[in-house]
Amino acid sequence: MAELLLDSDIRIWVFLPIVLITFLCGIVRHYVSVLISTQKKVDLQQVQDSQAMIRSRMLRENGKYIPKQSFLMRRHFFNNEESGYLKTARRPAAPQPMTDPNMMVEMLKGQLTNVVPMIAIGGWINWTFSGFVTTKVPFPLTLRFKPMLQRGIELVSLDASWVSSASWYFLNVFGLRSIYTLVLGENNAADQARIMEEQMSGAAMNMPQDPKAAFKAEWEALEIADHKWSLKDVETDVLQKAELELPIDIQSYANTA
Amino acid sequence: MSGRVRTRIDRGTGEIVAYSDAAVRNNMAVIEYCRTSMAALSGATAGMLGLTGLYGFLFFFLAGLVLWVMLLLKAGSKWQQYFVSRKSLLTSGLFSGLFTYILCWTFLYGMVHVY
Amino acid sequence: MAVIWPKLIFIFGILSLFHAGYSAAQHRTYMRVTEQEFISLPTDIVVQGLLSLVLTMYGILHIAGDFKEIRANVQLQNKSWENVGNRPMFYTFAHRGRALSPNYVAPQSKNSLDGMESIAS
Repeated sequence: MAELLLDSDIRIWVFLPIVLITFLCGIVRHYVSVLISTQKKVDLQQVQDSQAMIRSRMLRENGKYIPKQSFLMRRHFFNNEESGYLKTARRPAAPQPMTDPNMMVEMLKGQLTNVVPMIAIGGWINWTFSGFVTTKVPFPLTLRFKPMLQRGIELVSLDASWVSSASWYFLNVFGLRSIYTLVLGENNAADQARIMEEQMSGAAMNMPQDPKAAFKAEWEALEIADHKWSLKDVETDVLQKAELELPIDIQSYANTA
Repeated sequence: MSGRVRTRIDRGTGEIVAYSDAAVRNNMAVIEYCRTSMAALSGATAGMLGLTGLYGFLFFFLAGLVLWVMLLLKAGSKWQQYFVSRKSLLTSGLFSGLFTYILCWTFLYGMVHVY
Repeated sequence: MAVIWPKLIFIFGILSLFHAGYSAAQHRTYMRVTEQEFISLPTDIVVQGLLSLVLTMYGILHIAGDFKEIRANVQLQNKSWENVGNRPMFYTFAHRGRALSPNYVAPQSKNSLDGMESIAS
């Protein structure tokens, strides 16, 4: 195959600008999305509900470590027919995601920062730098890749490993993603906010959409939970162990407690 | 300090080892950072050296291996303090940087050797 | 950050890599101008590229941050029961042991306590 010789002006005025434009646009997009994103408000009711759910689940799992009286008391708090938390809590049905205006705005913002610039810049690059053969991938490719890598130049005889300017742009868009995390740091856009939220509310954000159904399920599970005290003979056990190995291996108790 | 803890049973001694979730995630982030940088840099080097075809992919795996060795050197003899498993350090996420590598490779190859 | 060496090494490595790339491009152009067949890069450029890659990675490795201890109970491993079972809430200092202190001034008489009580009430 005859080696193509490209004008080195293409390198300076087409090849490099595309990389730079894609990269800088990604950074600008990141900062714009940081600017217009709003802190997600935590509904007080929701936090309360999810904390109640967590408490109930912990009671079910670890209830064997407290005396029966205490277990029953806690279950009473949740499950009593008249005053139990899970029974009396009246929650509105789950809102439809589409009718919630906040949700709509969020979606619109996501579209605005992600899709619109990509189409706009892509269109502009297609228009400005149309019809250049920019580079060559350093590995052989089959003919199947031709329409993917040579958008904008319809040359049948051109080898499949040559890349056109429009395709080079798309390669950059997809390939630069992990570079952004490198440059912008790990606190990439939504990442930081999510971790903070998780720490603050203690995984309480993962509340299911419909609290009513979740409460009902939790009520059922708690109702059938059986109390079997696992610390029944703990005093004799500990004393026996203490007799066997003096001095007492404190560490093992501290770890299991 | 995060209170979340993951447990897992040590195969050798049979005792339960508790791992701090935050620390594990921190180490993973560090490794991910190194991996992405390594992909980008080794891609740039491969493109600069003008490697083509299979040699370029070989160079990628070689770079991954070198990175693994360097990470182990950084962790020192106490690697068990920082990672659950040495082998998974090499294998997990080996291919995550492949696209970055190819991009850098193509970029530098185009810059240096095509024109 | 206290250590600046990794960053310097990183910057030096990047510059060196860039320089190697530039030399390679120059070499390529020279070969083309003099119409010689391009076989392979000169050894010094190859060596420089590889060395600067290793150097840069060394810098990156130290910039990326330190690993953290992942075993959760390692801090507790060496602690005695006195540390683990410490409950500051139950400390009490107003006990009779204070009378053992050399600086202790004994209350003059019972009357002083009576006087305090009358003030309080």
